[in-house]
Amino acid sequence: MQWLRFAVIVVAAMLLQAGMVDVVAIAGIKFDLLLILLVFFAVYRSAADAIIASFAIGFAADIIGSAIGPQTISFGLFGTLLAYLNGIIAVRRMPYQSLVIAVVSLLAGVLALLLTLFKGLPTPPHAFPVLLGTSLYSAAVGPYLFLPLLWLIDVRAHHFYRR
Amino acid sequence: MRPYAESCVLFSVMARKHIKISARMLFTWFMLGGLILLFAPQNWTNKFQFVFTRVFSWPLSISRAVSLSVRARQMSTDVVSRDDYDRLQNHLANVMQELDQERKKVETLSGLHNRPVLEGAKFVLADIITNSVGGMGKTFIINRGQSDGLAKDQFVLGDNSVIGTVSAVSSRTAEVKLIIDSTSNMAVTIGELNVNRIMEGDGRNSAKVRMLSIKHQVKVGDNVYACKKGGFLDTPFIVGKVAQCKRDDVNPSLWDITVKPACNIDGINGVAVLIMNPQN
Repeated sequence: MQWLRFAVIVVAAMLLQAGMVDVVAIAGIKFDLLLILLVFFAVYRSAADAIIASFAIGFAADIIGSAIGPQTISFGLFGTLLAYLNGIIAVRRMPYQSLVIAVVSLLAGVLALLLTLFKGLPTPPHAFPVLLGTSLYSAAVGPYLFLPLLWLIDVRAHHFYRR
Repeated sequence: MRPYAESCVLFSVMARKHIKISARMLFTWFMLGGLILLFAPQNWTNKFQFVFTRVFSWPLSISRAVSLSVRARQMSTDVVSRDDYDRLQNHLANVMQELDQERKKVETLSGLHNRPVLEGAKFVLADIITNSVGGMGKTFIINRGQSDGLAKDQFVLGDNSVIGTVSAVSSRTAEVKLIIDSTSNMAVTIGELNVNRIMEGDGRNSAKVRMLSIKHQVKVGDNVYACKKGGFLDTPFIVGKVAQCKRDDVNPSLWDITVKPACNIDGINGVAVLIMNPQN
């Protein structure tokens, strides 16, 4: 994979997530660009690439988040799981991609919240309703962002294979 | 990534030498790294966040400005006049409170020389680089730090009202925990009452004051002031207004008071950090 291009995309996503995504927030709920990136790399890249990408994106999410560590672990874990699952069931159609984004977002979010509590840091109240909203919003937006990402990462048809 | 290397990755080491690492080994290493980060002290790991905001302060400020302008356009019917109104109201409330403090001092120390409470205090103006990027927390990162005299727990003002306190500082940036953050605890007093209570952020757009007996008269619209704090705040300063006052569901002999910030925190562009005893 072209890691320089990957780094630029992740930094751009961090900057957008940190500010611009507020513009399209619905009732304070924003979609999660970094999580969409996580699912994209887990679905469209090889397992080894997906593992590196998942942990890197998790670390990026922590940097723009409240604590370092929880999302690195949760994104890394679920990104890796998804990369291996994708070897068994290829997620090609948009409805399935939406479903995968929603499920991964929920699971990774819950694990990150638990790890934040474990770290001894407080979690915001109403975290679960916000998480549910974020998952649904990300699921609705995510598959449409896959198309420009495919072009940016230059994934051709022969790169998308079942493992 | 080459097509044949599905479950391993190649790393170039020293010119043409390559090391092949399996996917499982990669996962183990990264997970170990993640656990180290998780258990590392927060004041160490905060440095990653401060470095990011410092390096990307320019694009972060622009994206925040764009976000604010879009939001302002959406609420263009009252946003300008409302901000001005809130600012003047807050100023008036602070002046009245200050006057009251001075009057009390004059009463007790009549004849002795006295100085205004905020005389000599320094206001460090700061721009907001970004607001709480974490999504669910309520914090600001500002472009002033230790080198500008900032320290933990100093009060941060916006539109003449207290909006939070400094929660972490690096040399050039600082994190401001807003009064609406769910982990915020601030001693406050309500209106003319002579009792102090803790105000806690609710993690959304307001804060709560509990543990106040219903024998105290509280009404919607009463001003809420941050209490004096030695070395940080020498006079009560307005924080917000009572937006809702009802009996507590669990203990009906207590009030459950909802406090709205005295200014529109989302619309703030710059803040001032109050340094009561500046070094120079």
